[in-house]
Amino acid sequence: MNVVVEQRPTAAVVRITGSVDGLTADALQAAFREQVDGGATRVVADMAGVEYTSSAGLRALLATLKLTRQHGGDFRLAGVQPNVLKVLELSGFTSILKLYDDVDGAVGSFGA
Amino acid sequence: MSGESRRVSLVIGAGSVKCAAALGLWRALIRHGIELDMVVGCSGGSLYAATMALGYDVDTCERLTRELWTKDVTMERDTRGILAAIFPKLLGFDGKFGMVHDRAMGKALAGPFGGRTFEEAKIPLHVVTTDLETGAKVVLSSGSIFDAVRASIAIPYVWRPWQVGGRWLLDGCMSDPLPVDVAIREGGHVILAMGFESPFPRRVKSATRYAFQVNSIYTNNLLRANYAFHNLAHHAEIIPILPAFDRPIGLFSTEQIPYVIAQGEKATEEQIPYLERLFAGAAT
Repeated sequence: MNVVVEQRPTAAVVRITGSVDGLTADALQAAFREQVDGGATRVVADMAGVEYTSSAGLRALLATLKLTRQHGGDFRLAGVQPNVLKVLELSGFTSILKLYDDVDGAVGSFGA
Repeated sequence: MSGESRRVSLVIGAGSVKCAAALGLWRALIRHGIELDMVVGCSGGSLYAATMALGYDVDTCERLTRELWTKDVTMERDTRGILAAIFPKLLGFDGKFGMVHDRAMGKALAGPFGGRTFEEAKIPLHVVTTDLETGAKVVLSSGSIFDAVRASIAIPYVWRPWQVGGRWLLDGCMSDPLPVDVAIREGGHVILAMGFESPFPRRVKSATRYAFQVNSIYTNNLLRANYAFHNLAHHAEIIPILPAFDRPIGLFSTEQIPYVIAQGEKATEEQIPYLERLFAGAAT
């Protein structure tokens, strides 16, 4: 898994490529936490390059969601691929997380 | 991950004929030298969990599937049961109901499971059913496998519930369509979860189909709610194996079994690289 962070005026965009699973979830969660600790409580995960997520990955996403909201922000997903979307739907995440087709849509959803 | 073994726990959820995808999964695991340390089955999934646990080989299981899931098992109406439901006072409705007589199904199940017990299983086996009276999930892990499977596949309105140990038991999908929690409770670490959403009838043109529609709504929502909780509750990995089907697979689409198995194998192969990485991580 590879993570690249881009700071935009209204949100931090975390671009993820690879699998979000038991071997990578801790590193990903740390990357998200680093953004929140640095004051970026509005976070967008660019999931276009994520081909797989397991239960450990879902727990990392949920922890980030709670963390950002506890700090007055939010965590939103962009470009979720069909295989990952299926898992998110099955595990109820699509009912508690906001999903957008692309990063621009997700960043724009935060407003100015 | 702890331990150096290449073993996983397998949960096969409800899904009627779609559950045959578990045979494809099993083929893929064998090919990659991955063993099962526990099998949990619910509803149609209990058939495959039980055959795997008893040590039948994949080819035999496929043959048994073809023999069991034929239209014959649904051909004979339970006329007395239907009439008793329509005229309860006149014919004495006993609180249990199924439109289809279970004679043919019982005969089919007797082949692989007749006289066999959980204690004979080569892999620990757990079968999930539902208590008709209380709605509680009932996990059967000892005694007659025939009884457990018969109870677990007692699809509401189709087959009568089945009595085990003084309790009338119904299809496990009514309480836990994909019982990952059973594997968690029994100490599962890496858990493969093969689950299926219940299909909706193409057209709701009868009361029976309406009942199936409502059933599917209930069980699909239950599946998602339970799965969400299990994902968050587990300390290790739950790896979903979700075969994709490009065509409708009905309750008794037995002609689709080879396709269903192939899709199960494909979905499993997609997860093998991650499993291999997990095992490699455990060994270092």
